[in-house]
Amino acid sequence: MQLFVEQLINGWALGSLYALFGIGFGLVFSTLGILNAAHGTYASWAAIAGYYAVDRFGVPFPVAVAAGVVGGGLLAVVVDQIGFQPLRAKKTGMLGALITSIAFWIILDSLAGFATGQQSLAFPATSYPNQMVVLGPLRVPQMQIITILALLVCTVGIYLLIQKTRIGAAMRAVGWNEVAAALGGVNARMVILLTAFLAGATSGLAGVLGGISTSNVSFTLGEGLMLKGFAAVVVGGYDDVRGTAIAGICLGVIEVFVAQYISTSFRDGFTYLLLLAFLIARPRGLFGSANFVRA
Amino acid sequence: MNRISKAARAVRGVVAGAAALAAGFAGPALAAPAAGEYGVGFITENTGPLAAAGVSYHRGAQLAVDEINGSGWIGQGVKLKLGEKESGSDAARAVQALTQFSADRNVIAVTCCILSPVAAALKPVTTNAKLPLVIYGATLPGLPQPPYVTSIVGLPGPQEVKMSKMLAETLKPKTVTYFVNADNEGFQNRFKAAQKVMEEAGAKTAGVVSILSADTDFTAPATQAIATNPDLIMVWTTQTPAAGIIAALRARGYAGKISASDVISPAPVFKKIGPALAGVPFPILFAAEISSTPEAKSFIEGYTKKFGEAPDTYSAQGYTALYYIAQGLKNTNGKPTREDLAAAIGQIKSNDHNVYGGVPMVNGQAEVENSLVANWTADGKVVRWENK
Repeated sequence: MQLFVEQLINGWALGSLYALFGIGFGLVFSTLGILNAAHGTYASWAAIAGYYAVDRFGVPFPVAVAAGVVGGGLLAVVVDQIGFQPLRAKKTGMLGALITSIAFWIILDSLAGFATGQQSLAFPATSYPNQMVVLGPLRVPQMQIITILALLVCTVGIYLLIQKTRIGAAMRAVGWNEVAAALGGVNARMVILLTAFLAGATSGLAGVLGGISTSNVSFTLGEGLMLKGFAAVVVGGYDDVRGTAIAGICLGVIEVFVAQYISTSFRDGFTYLLLLAFLIARPRGLFGSANFVRA
Repeated sequence: MNRISKAARAVRGVVAGAAALAAGFAGPALAAPAAGEYGVGFITENTGPLAAAGVSYHRGAQLAVDEINGSGWIGQGVKLKLGEKESGSDAARAVQALTQFSADRNVIAVTCCILSPVAAALKPVTTNAKLPLVIYGATLPGLPQPPYVTSIVGLPGPQEVKMSKMLAETLKPKTVTYFVNADNEGFQNRFKAAQKVMEEAGAKTAGVVSILSADTDFTAPATQAIATNPDLIMVWTTQTPAAGIIAALRARGYAGKISASDVISPAPVFKKIGPALAGVPFPILFAAEISSTPEAKSFIEGYTKKFGEAPDTYSAQGYTALYYIAQGLKNTNGKPTREDLAAAIGQIKSNDHNVYGGVPMVNGQAEVENSLVANWTADGKVVRWENK
């Protein structure tokens, strides 16, 4: 039983990373209409920014996380303005943006490789909370608790932002129809910048926390999150962060339990089987709107 | 004048006769390649998932070429020119690089590959092109196919079996849990060999935890392994997972014995993981801190001077590969073709210049006899392993 609960927590923490990443990925898709293949690189670069903040400047853990989050957000804004804004102006549609995002993915991945000397780096153990929290018979790493809480805060915060604030209403309006939103008085350009930043920052948070907990800061970090984050978005629903959060956690738990009780070889197979099942049976995902269609 | 000419002709005749006689008796001993520059293609892996090791292999080869050319090791006026093409550990790119080297008639041999599947993909291409290929990193048994495909890499099996026996005798574990790559045949074989040794010594298998090469989160696998409560955990995985697994085991509070393979030996791995690696034994053929042959000392000194850091086991392999090609070239005559070089390489029975203290070649496969069992100390030094 103890093993079961410990693995449940492991899966929950792992799934929280997928969900955090997926929230950013879903925001970009639902608001900006971009299936952004470069999104994984924001996580990689955020982790790299956080790592170098610690390595070069010896900053404490919260500052390292902030550096990664802000770095991820700014990178997303830069990519959006250089790569996607010109396409948006020409109304090239989703395919043009996808192709552009693949180009950015390759470029940013290569640069990330050079930034890390093509190596997998790790945050020094003394630079983050690395103790175990004892809960009765259970021992839970502090970073897992932080990751789970980070997802909770981000999900609630972004959900409230989108559903309960004027900014959120503007984001939804731009997501539905940019021109109509602009005619209604929404500053679409600002909304796009804010959405890109928010998406990059959320995925950046997943990158920094993932880089710390897995002792892996490298250009490959984002690729792993990308596939699972995409699955979380599809299963949870493109336009609802609650669905992405729940789906991400479920994916993490399933992944860990399949490896523990069935076989590692089937682990990813189960994930993608679930993805396929949702695409066929419930393409709008757990919480997605029935009428969600990109404008 | 006429008398002088006759005398000169007589002297010339004697000299010519003596030279002809000398050539007749000692022809093979005087065989040497013609002076000139011979191209060697190096398929680098300086980018991609194995770049950390790839850079080391490449640097070792660069140092070897500098030494060989500087000392005239092959012969008077004979020099090697290293040409590089990057594969990023991708088989398709490696084949492309090999094809390009093959088209360049100045390239007389090629050396490549960390990954066995990549090396296997190159085998038919290089054999068809009749271009000697020397493997510097891949370790799957059966890759060499002399004379065109040979390997200077000592197979890990024997050294790991030797370490496993040593651990079985000194630690006397009753139960062992193993980590293994589910998607890597080479490591599965290495795990099975170690498991066989342990079970023959009476150590039961408490569990086998499979991971995948691309995995990065090892908290759950570490939890799974710790739950089996073993006396020893043996890690038979590729580098990134091995480092991550050991870090996760220690982070979760596992204080028992762990062993690993030589993948944790490079300095960047210790820099990344730190004291969590301390005391974990691993078998190794070369370590700058403990290899002590004259060739090893010279290599360590030259490498440190050139690159500002000590060489690792991978740079030693890159270094050995180039000396091996140079040795083959040294045994050719005149202006050797690729076929001549392949034949000469195929006849090498032992590497003349190596840092291991002896590298016999059997059917194109290196067999390193003097393996060491080492471990990292908490302050980042590699020392001979002792049970503490």
